[in-house]
Amino acid sequence: MITRTARYVILSMFLVLFLLPFVWIWSSALKSNSEINADPFGLPTSPQWGNLADAWTTGRFGKYLGNTVLYCAFVVPGVTVLSCLAGYALGTRRLPGEKYLLGVFLLGIMIPFQSIMVPQYYLVRDLNLLGSYWGVIVPSIALGLAFGTFLMRSFFRELPDEIGNAARLDGAGEWRVFSRIMLPLARPGLITMVVLQFMFTWNMFLIPLLYGQDENLRPVSTGIMFFIGEYSVDRSMIAAGVTLASVPIIVVYLVLQRHFIQGMTSGALK
Amino acid sequence: MATTMTRARPPLAGRSAAPAARRRPGDRRVSGYLFVLPALAVYAVFILYPLVQSVYLSLTDWDGARPHKRFIGLGNFDRLVHDSLFWRALGHNLIWVVLGTAAAMAVSLLLAMLVWSRPRGFTLFRTVYFMPQILPAIIVGIVWSWIYSPAFGILDRGLSAVGLGSWSHGWLGDPDFALYAVLVASVWATVGLAFVIFTAALHNVDQDLLDAARVDGAGAWQRFRHVVVPQLSSAVTLVTVLLLVHGFQAFDHVWIMTKGGPDNSTQLLATYTYQKAFMENEVGYGAAISLVLTVLSLVVSLAVVRLRERGER
Repeated sequence: MITRTARYVILSMFLVLFLLPFVWIWSSALKSNSEINADPFGLPTSPQWGNLADAWTTGRFGKYLGNTVLYCAFVVPGVTVLSCLAGYALGTRRLPGEKYLLGVFLLGIMIPFQSIMVPQYYLVRDLNLLGSYWGVIVPSIALGLAFGTFLMRSFFRELPDEIGNAARLDGAGEWRVFSRIMLPLARPGLITMVVLQFMFTWNMFLIPLLYGQDENLRPVSTGIMFFIGEYSVDRSMIAAGVTLASVPIIVVYLVLQRHFIQGMTSGALK
Repeated sequence: MATTMTRARPPLAGRSAAPAARRRPGDRRVSGYLFVLPALAVYAVFILYPLVQSVYLSLTDWDGARPHKRFIGLGNFDRLVHDSLFWRALGHNLIWVVLGTAAAMAVSLLLAMLVWSRPRGFTLFRTVYFMPQILPAIIVGIVWSWIYSPAFGILDRGLSAVGLGSWSHGWLGDPDFALYAVLVASVWATVGLAFVIFTAALHNVDQDLLDAARVDGAGAWQRFRHVVVPQLSSAVTLVTVLLLVHGFQAFDHVWIMTKGGPDNSTQLLATYTYQKAFMENEVGYGAAISLVLTVLSLVVSLAVVRLRERGER
């Protein structure tokens, strides 16, 4: 029906479509402003590595990246631990009222963040969390719980009851059964959970826009936005900023891509 | 058997003395709740409470600063019905959802079909197609703002290179084009997810059925329509839900590229909520708009879940 050549032509066209914009911006990061204007698409004639260093210090990208890493370091384990606990209980036992608990968590999957952001903002403000790292971290953890719990529940549900029961007969307590036996068995699910939550947290935009307005609290995503406001004419600086912000996540993606893709598909299918 | 025993025994009774199998049910139930409790507590305070609160706020004219929230009944909703900007935003959301879903679906399905046989280079294609999906919206937004830039953007230069220079535009600055321009960027960023889901689903399509159809003389389109599509139905539903829900909550790309402008031509419900609640301090009114978003999202999600259940039966 479709010849081999035609297929490769189409596939390669899309390859270019998805790749070219990045190549363009990355190569612009190594050009001077005058070169960007004169020859936007050529490769840099003499790479200006200094642009990256400028963005790191003058553009405060070092600080922004540090904040992003800090948020990931708290939010990812936070969501993972809480979701594992809840998903384990909801997936392996029939708790009375389970139906309602599931319904309540499902609600969190169905409604967008924008549905709750207005009251949540004032809640965070009234709890005096605004202007501190916790103001970004705590709402981010809360926001990941509904999806995380459902995801982990679906993994724990696939484990046979007998394994836990056998350990219980041997006298293992509930905590031991969970932490030593069931959790290690749910490892594929755990990896999926961590990878997805890492991606969500690295990319979050609206939460830090609301709760991390303070200069020192900005992660990369909102940091670039203010950066653009200040340096809107300095294209090579912007390109350098974009490069600094995109390269780490792309490297992580390339190394762990199997988990990203499996995680997104299984996460979506569950 | 286990359940009858649960009722007979008080929880935690005879913990150490009773044999493991007998002490299990009550103990497990209590610990079960203990396992759920931490997540539920955080979730209740930071998600459920605000959700309820948003209903209450929508019935007030609070400005975010006054200590007292004045109750005005359905006043905000009355205003909403007569707010032409609200209707425009809703209309933009509908265009966004319908066009965006259709376009992302078509492109991702085409690409998934093309790599169905896992041709050489499959991993490369998949890696690259999925890549925009993992990047922060801010980067997608900047990259596309550059592409559309009238001064040095790829698009306008490309158009003049092929002799269509008269089509050149400040795409994001033109109220007639801005919404579609941002939508293209957003579709570009989401195609990867749909593509990966379709690729996984196609992998499970029954090849024997397909061969049988070929033997019976079914053409390529017929085979696609009557053999492949039915087997993809659950993947199609899934992708539709994801894209629809994404579509209603669209915010990031728009906020980064146009902030709802020019002339409100890219205003969506989410950006309008943000603008009212956080920039114009009309918290009550913003909450009312967000409530519309809540109801729409719930209706769409529930409708699709229903459809899916019916389809499976």
